[in-house]
Amino acid sequence: MNTAAENAKDIITSYKGRKLRIMEVCGTHTHEIFRQGIRNILPPDVELISGPGCPVCVTPVGYIDEAVMLALEKGAVVCTFGDLIRVPGSEMPLAGARSKGGDIRPVYSPLDAVEIAEREPDKEVVFLAVGFETTTPSACIAVKTAMKKGIKNFSILTANKTMPNAYRALMHSADAFLYPGHVNAITGTGVCKEMLSLGVSGVIAGFTASELLTALAVIIKKSETGEPFFENCYPRVVKDEGSPAALRLMDEFLEPVDTEWRGLGIIEKSGVKLRDKYSDFDARVKFSLPEIKGRSNPACRCGDVLQGKCKPTDCKVFGKGCTPLHPIGACMVSDEGACSAYYQYALND
Amino acid sequence: MDKNITLAHGAGGRQTNELIESVFKAHFANDTLTADDAAILDFGEVKLAFSTDGFIVSPYEFPGGNIGKLSICGTVNDLACMGAKPEYLTCAFVIEEGFPVDKLEEIAAAMEKTAAEVGVKFAAGDTKVAGKGQVDKIFITTTGVGRVDERAKTSGAFAKPGDAVIVSGDIGRHGCTILLARDEYGISADVTSDCAPLWHNVEAMLAASEDIHVIRDATRGGVGTVLYEIAGQSNVGIEIESEKVPVADEVKGVCGMLGLDPLYLACEGRLVIIVPQEDAVKVRDALRSCRYSKNAEIIGTVTESDPGKVILKTAIGAKTLLPQPRGELLPRIC
Amino acid sequence: MCVGLSAKVVSVEDGTAVIDAGGAKREVSAELLDELEPGDYVMVHAGVAIAKITDSDDDEAGEVMGLI
Repeated sequence: MNTAAENAKDIITSYKGRKLRIMEVCGTHTHEIFRQGIRNILPPDVELISGPGCPVCVTPVGYIDEAVMLALEKGAVVCTFGDLIRVPGSEMPLAGARSKGGDIRPVYSPLDAVEIAEREPDKEVVFLAVGFETTTPSACIAVKTAMKKGIKNFSILTANKTMPNAYRALMHSADAFLYPGHVNAITGTGVCKEMLSLGVSGVIAGFTASELLTALAVIIKKSETGEPFFENCYPRVVKDEGSPAALRLMDEFLEPVDTEWRGLGIIEKSGVKLRDKYSDFDARVKFSLPEIKGRSNPACRCGDVLQGKCKPTDCKVFGKGCTPLHPIGACMVSDEGACSAYYQYALND
Repeated sequence: MDKNITLAHGAGGRQTNELIESVFKAHFANDTLTADDAAILDFGEVKLAFSTDGFIVSPYEFPGGNIGKLSICGTVNDLACMGAKPEYLTCAFVIEEGFPVDKLEEIAAAMEKTAAEVGVKFAAGDTKVAGKGQVDKIFITTTGVGRVDERAKTSGAFAKPGDAVIVSGDIGRHGCTILLARDEYGISADVTSDCAPLWHNVEAMLAASEDIHVIRDATRGGVGTVLYEIAGQSNVGIEIESEKVPVADEVKGVCGMLGLDPLYLACEGRLVIIVPQEDAVKVRDALRSCRYSKNAEIIGTVTESDPGKVILKTAIGAKTLLPQPRGELLPRIC
Repeated sequence: MCVGLSAKVVSVEDGTAVIDAGGAKREVSAELLDELEPGDYVMVHAGVAIAKITDSDDDEAGEVMGLI
């Protein structure tokens, strides 16, 4: 570890004072913070809350049902990030659809799904497009590539989400946000500055141990001044302007829609769909999917967990009915989900 | 327990154990049935180790080996882990209609060569041909018997607080190689399988220390799964220093791309050894003097605290729990 | 939500780059980044190079701690 990170670690471990509630918005942050053991060096006056930034966790049950229907009833090849395969749907997860003969394939990139479509022209290939601003451009590039190559048997099922309105919905949930560095690599720092103008503090953080420690140290030190603050603690990746090319691409292909976040309900203009001129690539249009209302298990408190209203361990089913092997709620499924991280990494709970 | 078999039931993790407990043990349990890699059959003056293993790897050829080499290594290593010198093998082939004979020849040649390395002999075999599509090209099952070395008194239940934990080489290469050979993720890297027959390595360790507590081979669930099994069987905690676990750069790179942990990638030629602290360096050095275990490393200690758990000491000097093994490895991307 | 991997660019052609992370290589889309050259470091996510970056986080740590 470098000296600066050592200093940061000292600042964190020796903090004593007003209780600080910091929300790590990003699921990858949640995962890395646990994996590096950072949670276990925090002093009692610093509390980390795991926010809604795991796309798998906030993807509503009905979306899984749509994907299962595509695989089993429409006979499509369903390509997905591995993260989604175990998420429970109303009837079954995608893993269940696979054991019933559904053609479900984990891929590394949406572009791989385009290649599959090119290689297997007799099949309809659908990519499950989930994720935030970091991931969404890759889905746009996939559609663009398919168009360029004249591939007609490819489409995407969108559930992509955008962060700005989620921050607004959550602005009173914590004293400071640990902003998701890779989202900001695309969107730039504008959103964070806007939040600052609303009196909301936060820093953009990277993902290495050193980056997480220094970002947390900055939050602690800046909080002591009592003034709202914003700092970019991930300057090697995040520039103020973000990625103009990615923003242009998303604007070209997608339009904002109101969308459901599992546990949080509908948040206005926090999702996207393909613009009408690209509807040939929209799986919902192509397969005339009916509107599906998913049923989640009522005992599950994922929604409260995602808003920092309760800890995973406060949920009645946590670790009993709901475990990573037999998850009830989405927060237990994804490795980046708060409940799964608590269950898998927490030493003493 | 799920209603139908899923791929996770075959991944060597907790679901596999659930299946064994709820179906197989319910029908097969007896005094000899073992949770270790091989059963010990005690005939008085002679003690035999006895083990069986099925191989269904896809693709059946990969950098560093093929299904034939694998089928010998798997059973040889299961016997070696009980401190037994592999003596005789049987092998059963299930071959898909249409399978090329020259490929079968290559597989048999690899089996011959690997068996010769450790001096194990083929005693019997069986061949079945299944109709097109009824099996995926070729499946092999091998069964082996070995004579237990009298210096060997090892079991997954013998780890004691204070003991040192050793791995015999850099981890996860087999799993990584197969992942790349399937070419599902478009990643390439110069990685070859760690697949190797390890009897001579075990022999060298037994010569270096007569007080080895545990020898296990880390196979499909990787080193992480084996550590959890030992922690459970011995009712101890295991603390690993994550920086000391040897992992090849290429394997790290592939894991980085796919969000996987090398501790859960399969190995086919790696041992996890638990010995009293005072013998740790001797055993490690004995391993380093052998082919296939030049990168052996002491990676942690057995603790009295946290029984049943595996704790990682991370690069920043903090402790965290190693997540429990959980079946099918799925890339984590978004 | 966004596992990223920092990797070195090996070659660039027609909006596609080959990247290398510790010897693990893959083709990724370079569509979002103009003027990418071999030797550059990029952050890769889901098969797309999303940002040109500095590889090491050491200097950054000093810079960030300079904020306080």
